[in-house]
This record gives sequence, structure tokens and C-alpha cells, in this order.
Amino acid sequence: MLSLMVGCAGLQRDHILTGLPSGCPSQNADALLAEQNQLGPLSDTHALLCAVNVLRGTQDPAVRRTALGSRLCLHLAEREANQEKREKFAAEGVDFAETALAQGGGQDGAVHYYLAANLGLAVREHITLAMENLGRLEREMKQALALSPDIDDGGPLRLLGALYLKAPPWPGGIGDLDKALELLEKAVKEHPGHPINHLFYAQALWEEDDEANLSQVKAELALGEKLLAEGNWGYNKEAWQKEFAMFVQELGEAELSRR
Amino acid sequence: MRKICLIIASLLAPIAAGAAPNPEMIVVCYPGGAVNAKDANGAMNSMLRVVERVGQWQANSFNSVFITKPDECRKQMAEKNPKFAITSLGLYLELRSQHNLVPVVQPRIKGRTSERYRVMVQKDKYKSLDELKGKTLGGTVLEEPAFIGRIVFAGKYDPASFFVLKPFNQAIRALRALDKGELDAVIVNEQQFGALGSLHREKPLEAVFESGEIPLMGVVANSAITTAEERARFGKALEGMCTDAEGKKLCELFGVESFVNVDAAVFEPMVKLWTEGK
Repeated sequence: MLSLMVGCAGLQRDHILTGLPSGCPSQNADALLAEQNQLGPLSDTHALLCAVNVLRGTQDPAVRRTALGSRLCLHLAEREANQEKREKFAAEGVDFAETALAQGGGQDGAVHYYLAANLGLAVREHITLAMENLGRLEREMKQALALSPDIDDGGPLRLLGALYLKAPPWPGGIGDLDKALELLEKAVKEHPGHPINHLFYAQALWEEDDEANLSQVKAELALGEKLLAEGNWGYNKEAWQKEFAMFVQELGEAELSRR
Repeated sequence: MRKICLIIASLLAPIAAGAAPNPEMIVVCYPGGAVNAKDANGAMNSMLRVVERVGQWQANSFNSVFITKPDECRKQMAEKNPKFAITSLGLYLELRSQHNLVPVVQPRIKGRTSERYRVMVQKDKYKSLDELKGKTLGGTVLEEPAFIGRIVFAGKYDPASFFVLKPFNQAIRALRALDKGELDAVIVNEQQFGALGSLHREKPLEAVFESGEIPLMGVVANSAITTAEERARFGKALEGMCTDAEGKKLCELFGVESFVNVDAAVFEPMVKLWTEGK
């Protein structure tokens, strides 16, 4: 309850989609909820926009307390190249999740998970916003981990691990490489099929700045790249390829500078 | 010190689009930091508008290169020959003659523009620094052993030969290792020392060594290629940072109360110690 009252500092609350996207099929929220597993990274953007629009209009508490709207906004945000639009989708995803919490969805780990994922996307390019929201991010991810550790192929482990990896470390922030390594190793072991689990674990091992880790870093990276290349990751694939490419470049530059 | 460097660095950062015709390169040296250049640049970009407005510069007048390895910093200082730089105190002392460096501003934190370093051990395990001869010493500030030896230990101990040094890129990891008995001692700066109470520990710690007052380092300028006016303008912009509406928010975020004009005399004892230690 406290987290609801605290809210998310400084997010853009003006959503970018106010009208009905053209050509949407006739849908209602109940039907969307029943078929929600068909909506995901493989769905085309138009289908997601139509679904989000339906969810915006529903007053059905059984729908509003779920993570569906937040999850769909995350899919839209992750595939959006324009930063402003991406942040607005993510901010709307936070709104959906906060509504779900207000409607009694607090025991659903997915609500906390998609709230945190959207919030992270919405603030990551803004240092003051990111710092102001670190505590909220950590709390939501911890709740997601406690309630639903396995959703999205170990998403709560992956996200919380990444948060501890990327955040400023003690004493200035909550960043903690030991915690990051523990969570991301667990993500890799328990959900070995997700490419980003391997990428983040490789990044955490690399952060240890220990030559002895280099072969494991490369092995995790190679495994993640293989999974990404061979899997059907839909619209996520391009964005994830960029993440991998950036780390490969960082690794290459570091190795060159050591020679 | 990490966050101080980051905020100062952030003030001078570029943003990718629409750079001024000839942006001035700022070399940002941050030895031992657990922040990578990409993260640092992200932080810097957010702060640029503030400093441009406060300093009344054309947008994107500065560019920067962010470095965490001392050797790379020396190389970049030589190659770029920057007008302004952000360095650790150790690198300033080492490079000051070669690059005609003069301090321009210092950060003020909790009313102070200086700090003390301390060597922490498990309580009652060691009585003095001398008892730590040949023992392991960890910490985030060990990337610059010459600075630790000449300035922090005032030339009385050579850390590289006296201790077995175990550099860490996160202080919390070094302190955990100390708590577990995997390290004999950890050297901490003022910020880390002040936050020890927030850490869960099995065993109480105590300081077996406390340094003298050591000035916090901020921005330095090459006095051979900057005018007094340029340095004053730069300093003024930074001094105004924490009273600007948006800049204040950023300063608060990083725990910096203000940036203050440097009294050069503050650094003279450091220069003396450094020179004597050669």
C-alpha cells in the first residue's frame, strides 16, 4: 500500500494514444483477457495498440486488476525506437499496473513485474528520475520475485539482477555486484532458454574485472547469441541484438586496450 | 568520491546531436570507479543543459572522454591536451607540472571541502597500522598506490611493499570480505566511512589509521592554454550550479551542497607531500 501512495516520481502521464487505432477488430476486455496468451512479442504492433485501447476503456475490475495492460504496453515500448514514444508507452504501462494494484492485484507477481519493467524503461534515460525511482524499482522487483519468480523466463531474477548490476553502488546507491551475480546466475540456471539471462550474467561476470572470468563471459555471451539467433523472439529480437552488439563492442574495446 | 566525480563530469558532458562546431574536450579521469563510460555519459547528458544555461555557453560547447584507468588517463591527457579536466587528487598531483594544471573548483559536501581516509579492521584484531605489515588491504582507492602512500599515509608507508593490495571496484564487496575475514583491512574514504552504519555486518569494525585532511578534488585547468577569464567563467558556472532550480535537484541527488572556488593554498601541503615522496 505504501508503494501505491509513494507512486512513481516524474513520469510522463500524457499517453500518446487517445483515439481508436483504425481497423481494429471488434473486441471486448473479457475476450482479450481470455486470449491474452496470444498477445506478446510475436503480435504485430497494430494488434497490440487495438488491445491496449480496449483495456483503456474497460471498467471491469476483474480485467483492471490484472497485469495485461501493463504487459502489452511493455511490448509496445520495447519495440519503439523513438525515445519519447517509448517512454510514454512505458509510463502508461506503469499506470495500468498501478490501477491493477489499486483494484486489488497486489498478490499477482506479474503486476509488480510489469510495473517495474515499464518504470525502468520510462526513467532509464533520465538520471534524476532514475535515481528518484530506484527504491520503487527495487521494491516492485522484490515483490515480483517473491510472488512469481518464473514469469517471463525468470524475468524478476533478470530484472532485479540487472538493477543491482547497473545502479550506482553503495554508498551512493543500491548497486551491488554480489547480489547481481547471485540473481543472474540463478536466472541462467533456472531459465537457460532466455538469451538475455545469459547476456546479463555475462555482463555481471565482466564487471568483476577478473581475467579468470573471461572464458565464462565469452561462453555465456556465445550461448545467449545462439539462443537469440535460433529462437523466435518476434519484435524483441532486433532490440536484443543491439544489446548484444553493444556488449560485444565493449568487450572488444576492453581487450584491445589491454594489449 | 565516485559520485562527486560523476556529477562534475556530468556538468561537462556532450549530447550526441547538434554539437557546437568545435567542442572543447574535457578529460574525465575517475580511477577505480565502478561506473563505465556509457553509464557516465548517460548521467552527463542529463546535466548538460543546466550547466550550459548557468554558464551561458552555446549548446554542446564541450565534449568529454570518461576514463577509469590511470594509464589511459595519462595517455588521454597527453593526446588531447585539454583546457579543463576532472581528475583524482593523485592524478592532479602527478600531472600538474606536465600539463600546467591548476584547481578551479572543489565540491562541498556536508559543509566540508576535504576528507579523511581511514584503514578499517575487525575490532580488536589489530592495534595499529604497523601490525598490518604483509597483510591484505582492500578498497576502491587502491588504483593509485602512489597517492595512498605519499598523501594518505604522508610518505610513512609504501602500500605496494607494506601490504598485499587487493583493489576492489565496489567498496561494499571489500567490506564484506573484511567482515568474513577474507581481508585483513580495508581503506575507505570519507563518504564510505560515513555510510558504514548502513551496512549489515557480523563483526564490528574500527579504524587503525586516520589520515590528515585531504582536499576534495574537482575541476582543474591547464593554465598555459586557458586565460584567467576562462577559468573564472568556468568556476562561476559551477558555483551557480547548485542554486539553479534544476541544478539544485541534481546537486541534492549527489549529496553535493555546492561547488566552491578553490583556495590554491589548500593544495600546497599536498604538493609538498607528493614532491617529498618522489
